[in-house]
Amino acid sequence: MEYEIAADDYMAAGAASNSIKEALKMLGVPTAISRRAAIITYEAEMNLVIHGGGGKIVANIDESSVELMTIDQGPGIPDVEKAVQEGFTTAGDRAREMGFGAGMGLPNIKRNADVFEIFTEVGAGTTLRTVINLP
Amino acid sequence: MAHSIRISYSACHGCVNCIKSCPTEAIRVIAGSITIIRDLCVDCGECLRACERKALGLDDDDWDIIRAHGEVDAMPDPTFFAQFGSYWYPDLAQEELSGNGINLLVDDLDDAFDLSAYSTAKMIEGLSKDQLPLISVYCPAVVRLIQLEFPELLSRLILVKNPIEIAAEMWRRRTKSFAPLTLISPCPAKITMVRDPVGNQPSSIHHVVSIRKVVHTLMASGVKVSSDNPRSESKGKRFAEWARRGGESKHVLKFSKRELSIIAVSGLRNTMDLLEQLELGRLRGVDFVECRTCDIGCFGGIACSESRFLSHMKHRNIQTDWILSPEREEQLAPLFQNEKLWKISEPIPSRQRLPLSSDLSEAMSRLKQMKAVFAELPHIDCGACGRPSCKAMAEDVAREQGEITDCIFKLREDISSLANQIISLADLPPNALKRIQPGKNIKVNPQRG
Repeated sequence: MEYEIAADDYMAAGAASNSIKEALKMLGVPTAISRRAAIITYEAEMNLVIHGGGGKIVANIDESSVELMTIDQGPGIPDVEKAVQEGFTTAGDRAREMGFGAGMGLPNIKRNADVFEIFTEVGAGTTLRTVINLP
Repeated sequence: MAHSIRISYSACHGCVNCIKSCPTEAIRVIAGSITIIRDLCVDCGECLRACERKALGLDDDDWDIIRAHGEVDAMPDPTFFAQFGSYWYPDLAQEELSGNGINLLVDDLDDAFDLSAYSTAKMIEGLSKDQLPLISVYCPAVVRLIQLEFPELLSRLILVKNPIEIAAEMWRRRTKSFAPLTLISPCPAKITMVRDPVGNQPSSIHHVVSIRKVVHTLMASGVKVSSDNPRSESKGKRFAEWARRGGESKHVLKFSKRELSIIAVSGLRNTMDLLEQLELGRLRGVDFVECRTCDIGCFGGIACSESRFLSHMKHRNIQTDWILSPEREEQLAPLFQNEKLWKISEPIPSRQRLPLSSDLSEAMSRLKQMKAVFAELPHIDCGACGRPSCKAMAEDVAREQGEITDCIFKLREDISSLANQIISLADLPPNALKRIQPGKNIKVNPQRG
């Protein structure tokens, strides 16, 4: 499954997350897992909206795991270690006015994923790969 | 799974007005009449509001049969007192109805509702910020909605029994009576609450009838229905406040040691929105959430007889007694110690819909099929296939509970392509009349006769 996420579209954020959760429900995946997938997707969507200049989310599901990939051609992350610290944010005023950009996005994703990998290049974009193992 | 919506097949004309009113997409109109997918129904009663032909009704118990056995021990829902003017004060209602074959059990309501609010306040006190907010279980439709659509929120439900159940239990203990109890209910959800209680504890109540039914029989038997209020100097009861949005919250707040952040919403749309936001973890800093699926709260229940607007207005003119003495808390403390009385002992289970298949790879191929079918559909959710949305249609096809040609647009496309085939076939000249036109090379297959 693939979802295109537009930059700055705060209203549409959450759609991909809902859709993935719905699909996992249909597949009979336990709710604890679909919840984690929904949180990861939601935070990833917000990241694409706020920072990545839009991009796409790809979900691959098989018998053993749920893989969620977030791909953008945005500005990249200069210091990944800092970015995954709670409370660190580079979100603009607009995002923060709307209640986002608290610096919890990546830490929240990391907490809910069994595999968490970031490939990033300043100026070229970021790819985030997360995997949740199925029981 | 017990339910309390009744379908009248003779009244149903197969219009599809009801299908979109359902928050869980449980209704289909197939072969001209309604089907409710029972696994998905939460008994909120929205479909009853949507049906203009009254093909959907309440499946309550038969009031005439219950009455035929002599005086009825009736447990009133707090909304009951708002149904006529002079009945506003429970003791007054009790007096007036005692001559009409109804023993209205109002004596335990004070204790039961106080205990419920007190226990809720105590439970909130014992939790840390990240375990909050807790969600009220007073509205049984909300509990079922969470079981089905928001299972992640199950751990947030307050495991305190519905105060109406507590009152019934208290009455039984006090009077040592085994006589059957009848609940007078404002909605299908509370009917189902009695028939199929959450947490697997049997209900202390035996029968449920709708407020409307009881009120109508009372009116028909000539009970005085006056709008004046002879005891306006007396204070209103706290439990009566639970009939409208925010009443429960206020009650809980009165027993809380600290100031609480509370959100109270009513109406199905608001309830769904709130639960969605809660699920996404977007409501931080909230301690307690009160949701009612009916507008205004239980006054808006589909089984009420009085206009919800009028009930609400009249209710605002009542001075409720909110002053709780320290002695009151001392009275409640021993009741609180008796957890069996008020606590739901088992966690409330989720009630998710069956997956597309019990086998994951089979489910995945069906999910793919569902997506493919969905892509073909017009996405206008017209309802002509008898399903609430194109998505539901695609899902039914993937579950082998429908054909893609159930979609009127797909059927039209199929007819149109068939018609085109017919036209192109009709354009072909019979073999014997085929002429080689000048300037055109026609290949003739010499082998064919």
